[in-house]
Amino acid sequence: MIRFENVTKSFGPKTILKNVSFEVSTGEILFILGKSGMGKSVTLKHIVGVMKPDSGKIYVDGKDVTSMSDLQLESVRSTCGMVFQHPALLDSLNVYQNVSFGLRTPQFNHAMKRTLNEEEIKTRVLEKLSLVNLGPEILERMPPEISYGMQKRVSLARTLAPGPSYLLFDEPTTGLDPITTNAVNDLIFELSRKLKVTSVVVSHDMACALKIADRILVLDQAGILAIGTVSEIKRSSEALIQDFLSETLALLPPEERAK
Amino acid sequence: MSEILKIITRFIHQSVVEVGSVLLFVFKVIKTAATTRGNLRPIVQQISYVSFRSLPTVAFAGIFVGAIMVLQFNVILVQYNAEVFLGGLNTSAVVREIGPLIISFLLAGKIGAYTAAELGTMRVTEQIDAIECLGTNPIQYLIVPRFFGIVISSLILLLLGVMISVVGSMFVAKVLCGINPLQFLNAIPRFTNYWTLAGSSFKSMVYGTIVASVACHRGYTASGGARGVGKAVTLSAVFINLYIVIADYFTTDIVSTLIELGHHWMNGGEN
Repeated sequence: MIRFENVTKSFGPKTILKNVSFEVSTGEILFILGKSGMGKSVTLKHIVGVMKPDSGKIYVDGKDVTSMSDLQLESVRSTCGMVFQHPALLDSLNVYQNVSFGLRTPQFNHAMKRTLNEEEIKTRVLEKLSLVNLGPEILERMPPEISYGMQKRVSLARTLAPGPSYLLFDEPTTGLDPITTNAVNDLIFELSRKLKVTSVVVSHDMACALKIADRILVLDQAGILAIGTVSEIKRSSEALIQDFLSETLALLPPEERAK
Repeated sequence: MSEILKIITRFIHQSVVEVGSVLLFVFKVIKTAATTRGNLRPIVQQISYVSFRSLPTVAFAGIFVGAIMVLQFNVILVQYNAEVFLGGLNTSAVVREIGPLIISFLLAGKIGAYTAAELGTMRVTEQIDAIECLGTNPIQYLIVPRFFGIVISSLILLLLGVMISVVGSMFVAKVLCGINPLQFLNAIPRFTNYWTLAGSSFKSMVYGTIVASVACHRGYTASGGARGVGKAVTLSAVFINLYIVIADYFTTDIVSTLIELGHHWMNGGEN
């Protein structure tokens, strides 16, 4: 479980998050929506301790990550996988080396209680690449040699490779074609339902949220504008939420709109 | 007047903050290197990468700087009929001052800028955050090899640069000034000894540390997209050159005092 307690974060004079509190239960899919610059990505980075709040507490599996040292944070990070807004692939490594990066860390070996041999690593890499519709032909390619959409999918495979309990997605489908977008959404849904992986998804895509989210959190003006199930959010009278909904519903076919 | 005072105060404040944050960063890098394992191989790889990448530039610079010094010194020495000292004076100038300084400026321009740009790009494209989230310490993975690679390479490049410069100078002295190579070499020990070389190595390591720490720090803390990376590269170049010139004054003073003490000690305390 992930829990935010009165988290406040400012950058210079600008307060991005002010007394933000919410919880994400095990196996749940929480979508965080909001306009640009409202602190969605910042919220995500706080969970893995890449950013520290000015005040407030953040608990992952009951452990307060805000008071942890870098070394202690490494054990929390080994249970969390994060998909970044950019593909964030290491330019100096090929696709295989990028996807297998997390399988060679001491934390992963410690969690597995052994070191995987190269054959096992390769099997796992190929398995994760196939989940994102990629084949073995790209293993030796360098990140700049593949398209942006492929880089995003490789990035997703890299995050999935160590088998994290928590998945944090920062706009996972931006720059992807509709087919891959659907595949990624289905993947998030399957991981949550089959493996009880908890997912926090930062997105602008209300259509995806309506399709797979268990709950939706809307951030605005440094705080939580609304949080609730899909049907609760649909019933909200907040102007921003209605704007998001009307933009999304207009793009949906009539039968989907009626649901 | 108050505006000028404000600008000066702000400049001093910024400089203190900059120096302080670089020192804290260096402390973190050294602490990480000392408390983690498996750093030797990436450091050796980085040393070979930096040294091989910089060697052609250092070799060219060494030959031409040596040649320039020969031409300059020869003009004066001819007036006093003291051409026999050309090799000694030329080598002494290269070892004591020009060598460490030129090599550190070349390192700053080539490797320093490259490192700041590479790390800055990795920072703004979230590659460093990704490394962190995958359970790897980015200071150990990215900074420790680059930092020690640059520092140790600066020493290797100094030694190679000085040797190349001496050979180049000797050739120019023979062709343009008619100085016998043996005469050139014989004059070297009269102006240069192991202490001079040790002092020069110390200076080179200090400048290498400045290049490594400022470039790595600026790149690692870059923010704000492509513009932020550009700013990181520019500021790293500005601060590295500024710090090296300031450090040159202090290291020259320290090295001169140490060489004097060394001579005094070797001569059994006699003046």
